[in-house]
Order: sequence, then C-alpha cells, then structure tokens
Amino acid sequence: MESGFSLRKIIHVDMDAFYASVEQMDNPELKGKPLAVGGGEIRGVVSAASYEARKFGVRSAMSGALAKKRCPDLIFVPPRFDRYREISKKVRAIFYDYTDLVEPLSLDEAYLDVTENKKGNPSATLIAREIRQRILEEVGLTASAGISVNKFIAKVASDYNKPNGQKTVNPEEVPEFLESLEIRKFYGVGKVTAEKMFKLGIFTGQDLKAKSLEFLEAQFGKSGVFYYDVVRGIHRSEVKPNRAPKSVAAERTFSDNLTSEVFMMEKLEKIASELARRLERHQISGKTITLKIKYSDFTLQTRSKTLNYFISDKSLILETARELLYQEKMQNSVRLLGISLANLNTGGDEDKESPDEEKTVSVQLKFDF
Amino acid sequence: MKFIVSSSYLLKQLQILGGVINNSNTLPILDNFLFELSPGKLNVSASDLETTMSAVLDVDTDSDGSIAVPARLLLDTLKTFPEQPLTFVVEDNNTIEISSNHGKYALAYADGAEFPKAVELSDPSSTSMIGDVLATAIGKTIFATGNDDLRPVMSGVFFQFSQEGLTFVSTDAHKLVKYQRNDLEASQVAEFIMPKKPLNLLKGILAGSETEVTIEYNESNAKFSFENTELICRLIDGKYPNYEAVIPKENPNKLSIDRTQFLNSVRRVSIFSNKTTHQIRLKIAGAELNISAEDIDYSNKAEERLSCDYQGDDMQIGFNSRFLTEMLNNLNSDEVSLEMSLPNRAGILMPVDGLDEGEQITMLVMPVMLNN
Repeated sequence: MESGFSLRKIIHVDMDAFYASVEQMDNPELKGKPLAVGGGEIRGVVSAASYEARKFGVRSAMSGALAKKRCPDLIFVPPRFDRYREISKKVRAIFYDYTDLVEPLSLDEAYLDVTENKKGNPSATLIAREIRQRILEEVGLTASAGISVNKFIAKVASDYNKPNGQKTVNPEEVPEFLESLEIRKFYGVGKVTAEKMFKLGIFTGQDLKAKSLEFLEAQFGKSGVFYYDVVRGIHRSEVKPNRAPKSVAAERTFSDNLTSEVFMMEKLEKIASELARRLERHQISGKTITLKIKYSDFTLQTRSKTLNYFISDKSLILETARELLYQEKMQNSVRLLGISLANLNTGGDEDKESPDEEKTVSVQLKFDF
Repeated sequence: MKFIVSSSYLLKQLQILGGVINNSNTLPILDNFLFELSPGKLNVSASDLETTMSAVLDVDTDSDGSIAVPARLLLDTLKTFPEQPLTFVVEDNNTIEISSNHGKYALAYADGAEFPKAVELSDPSSTSMIGDVLATAIGKTIFATGNDDLRPVMSGVFFQFSQEGLTFVSTDAHKLVKYQRNDLEASQVAEFIMPKKPLNLLKGILAGSETEVTIEYNESNAKFSFENTELICRLIDGKYPNYEAVIPKENPNKLSIDRTQFLNSVRRVSIFSNKTTHQIRLKIAGAELNISAEDIDYSNKAEERLSCDYQGDDMQIGFNSRFLTEMLNNLNSDEVSLEMSLPNRAGILMPVDGLDEGEQITMLVMPVMLNN
C-alpha cells in the first residue's frame, strides 16, 4: 500500500433489486414472481428486475419487449419513485446512526466512511452486518455490502456475495483481490473498455498491473491513470456527503415515433415542466441546456447550448430547447426526447461571470396549462 | 314574388347581418343574403358556414319564395337612399328588380336552395340573460383570447354555466380573465367554447340592449335568439385548459391603487420600454410604487413614482406593459387591486369598486422574468 495515506474503512451498501423488492414487499402477491419495474412491455425500458426475473436474463435498462421474450411470465409494474424515495430515506437514516460521512450514489446505493464512527466500533465488517440486519428489521428489505479500504474496492466487493451478503477485503488482501479480479468487474470498466482491454490481452487485475503507466495512458488517456492506480489499491476519492448532482435531466420515450417538430414541441413542454419541477426540488439552476434526441433507429444525437446566466424556469428552458430543436433538421423520426441542464450553480463557480453578461434577458412567462 | 319594404329598415337589418359575411369566400353563394319570403314576412340570412345569422323583417307581401341576393351590391345601393319605400320584384330572367323613387335597378340572383342550411340544434339546453349583460361579459373577456392555431380552444371564450352562476373565461396563456355572474343561473351545468367572430357580432348588436337573449346549446352548436334575430354558430371543439389551477391561492402582497393614475403611468413609461418585450418593472416598497422601463438598445429610460396602498414584502416584478394596459383599460373601476406572491407567479388584477351586484372580475397576468 502507498504510504502517507491513512487507511480508511469504507462500506458500500447496495440494496438488493431495490425497486422490485419494494414492490414485492408492498404487494405480497408479487413475492417470488418474476417482476420488472418499468414502463411496460411495448416500448418501455426495465428499470429494475426482481431476482426471479434475473434468472431468465432480464436486466435493467433492457427493453420491455426483449424482457418479455426472455421471460414470458414477467409482470410489469409501473415505478413509484415517491415510495422508493421514502424507503431510501429510512435506509439512509440508519446509515446516519453510524456516520455522517454518507455518500448516496442513488436511491439504492451509498458509500459510508466508518473509519471513525458514532458507535466507536472498530470493525467495519461488524458495522456492515449490523446495518444490513437493521435494514432487514426496520425496513424489511435485504441489502448487500462491500467493505474495504477505498470506495472502488468496496463497490466491487458488495457485488461478491449478492444478494443479502457481504464481503470484506482486508488491507492485506487487497493486492491479491485486485489481481484475481476479472477486468469486467472493475468499476468504471464498461463493455467497450472491457473489449479494448481484452484485445490488449488484459483479462484480470494481474494483467492490468503488468502494464506500464505510459502504456495505459497512451491507450486510455486520462482513464489510464485511474486504471493504473486503482489496480494498485489506490483510489483517493473521499466519501463526499451530499454529493451535488452534475446535471439534472428529464426525458420521455413516445409510444409513437414523432416526425413533426410541432408535436415534439408539445412533448418538450411537458419534459421542460418536469425538469423545472426537479430543479425546483433541488433548488438549483444551470447554464448548459442539452437536447437529447433518440431517433427511431436508436441513433442518439445531442445538441447543447450554454447561456451566460443560470436558468431554472420552465419558459426559459423551453425557449432554449425550442431553439435547439429547430437548429437542424431531424434525421429520422424521433423515439425519445430529453432535456438536461448542466453547469449547475452548485459548482461554486457562480461568481466567475464576465462583465458582458450584464445584458438583461427578459422572458414572458406562461400559464402552466 | 314581390315585396315592399322601407329602405332604412332593410339597410339597418342587412348591415347587422352583413357582419357575418367574409370578405373572401371559397363558396361564392356565401357572398349573398338569403331572402326567404312568406306572407307578411321576409327572413334574411347570412352565413360563413361556421356562423349563420338571420332576422325576420316585416314587409308588405303576400307571396312565397327563396332567393340569394348579392350582399355587397345590395348594401352599397341601399346606403345611398334616403328613407323611402322600395319595391322588390323577382323577374323571370333570374334578376330581381328594385324600384325606388329615383328609378329601377336590376340584380342577378341565385336560387335560394343553393344557400347552405343553418344547423338545427338537437336536444338543446338553455338559459337567458339581458343583452347588455351578455355584451358586457363578452367585452370583458374577448380581448384576452389567444390567436395560437395550435391551441384553438384558447382562441375562444369559455362559457361555464351552472345553477350557481355563469362564468366566462378567456386566456392566451399570458393573461387570463374570469368574469362571473352569480346573480344569473342556467338550468343545467354546461361548458362550451364560443369562437371569437360570433361573439364580436353579438357584442356589437347587444351592447346597451335591454332585450332578453335566449341561449340554447348542445355539444356542437349554440344559438342566440333575441327580438327578431337568431345567431347559430359552431362551437370550438376541445377541452379548455384547467384555468382554476393556475390562479394562485396565496398572494400575500396586495397593492391597491387608483386605476386611471396607474394606467396613465404604465402607458407613459411603456413608451420607453424595449420594443419587443414591452417590459416594465414595478418596484414596490412601503406605500410607494415605482414604475420603470428602459430600452438599452436606444438608451431610453423612464421612471415614475406613485403612492399606493400596499401590504406585503417589498418586491420587484416585471410585466409586459401591453397586457397591463389592455387589462386596466378594460376595467371601469376607480380603484384596482393587484395581488402578487412571487416575481415568477401570476399577478391578480381586480376592480375594487364599480361592480354590479353579483358581478365578479378576476384578471391574471403572467410576469416577465427580470433577469439581473
């Protein structure tokens, strides 16, 4: 291990098939049945699948149609995000009993830094066990956990004994653990990177460790440095409580592909209201608006524009989105539209505005019909 | 077929009906008045297919028949006559001959059967009100209707009838007017959207009139009958936006001010506003209202101060001066109140005085976001 780095004790807690488990808990009839939470079998996308469904090869982000093909008995349930949020809150409350250093990744995962914890318990393994037990007793759901010296290894480890299990990688086991790890399991290595690694003869952590920093940098650029460090057990990212979102987005897939911008504007208005609602909930605004267009042939196009002031209002978002929509001709009929707002005012670079931004901008607001 | 009628009486009726006729018609027959004669009566109709208006005139005749007479030609001729009896005789050669004290005029006519038939209202519900009340309701709302072809429902006035009262609503998504009469009632709950054109015609005819207007309606058409006149029109199809949802309930900041003073200030200051946004800024602190505008492109700037009654937090809000002017202009009260919550929420403008018993007017205007 690198010197000059005090060893941390990090736990990664991951709820097992969270959305699907919540649905099964709330509706006992669904227990033990293959279940997919998502927008339905025609054009929807599975956002979570129960373990019963996973056995058939149903995965999240899979199209509803394919999921149904793989598992004909699959039951589709519409998502109830408010309910998931409510439960997620309860789970987080348990985390905060142990430490304030909680970094939620999503509704169903979080990193906890328990190096110093409120219970004074020196064993992260025991804390993880206790937390999982309490989640089961107080919330009624199972969770898995990974325990190790940094976020990266904790995250990989939490997948090891899933569902309803945990895995500790002690400091002395770290090098061996990483060396034997399949390259696909490295967090941050997706399908594309994995294929590239395979071509370079990298299949396990050991293979990766054998490569020089220069080689990895040449092949993978900036990420090369990350891979080089990470396989040596170095991951300096701290557990950041209340991690601020980098962007806020809303999108919609249509039941029929759209060909006319006029109809798209109608949809964009709805999407913009949803986005504005989310922005209001988080009390943030941003400068960069991106219009995401997925065509009927699944090719993706994004068009973005950066304004020199922060916006969060629906009319302003819609105004810019409209400009982006008409900026260029559509290449095909459109299956999905989305608007996202990045360059948020949470970054702390708000005061870096140049003087020419004094220009007043006024927008006539509309009733939200 | 022959009838005798007073020239000014006929002209007056035809001028009213002529409002229905479009300047350019795809169907040439619509450039005509339909004359339907029966003993002692002449029924004249004009139509643009959407709206048909007809009036029954007392004339001296004992014949029957139906012909379509060119509207423009007839009106132009009638306008020039001093009051006198005119004799209309339908000749065999498809012309109608008019004899006056001055001479004879022949117009080609078409067969009355070619003229489109007005729809019959099947199974209508009905209510009635004084003509002037209807004209006022139209006048208070019609200016706030929209012109967006994509939202045709907003191009009309929304009529909401119930046992509790009659409500008329219009909006173009930027401003909204809700005009209520709680002193009137309808036999049945009904909602329909009236297009602008027939409403403008009705407003013109009925302003100041004490006659009773009967309104009959079903899902697709409405009929307004009064005195010797009937107007039937097609309703706008579609669902009216849920306007109640956009009326803010909590408005802690209440401004009350002399309407004429406010209107005059807004008008003056708006001359200096940006020519595309027409944006003016209201800054309210204590009992002082500061109205300002600027057009940076031309370095034009104006500012006025008015004293007012104000309860609430100091605030700044931007409005399109055109909307504000139109709305203030449409009210007759000496004093108005403007209720607000936040600079990005609608302001509610209401008259403080001068309302009839049972009359209620609520106007909403969305602000222009001030960005700096």
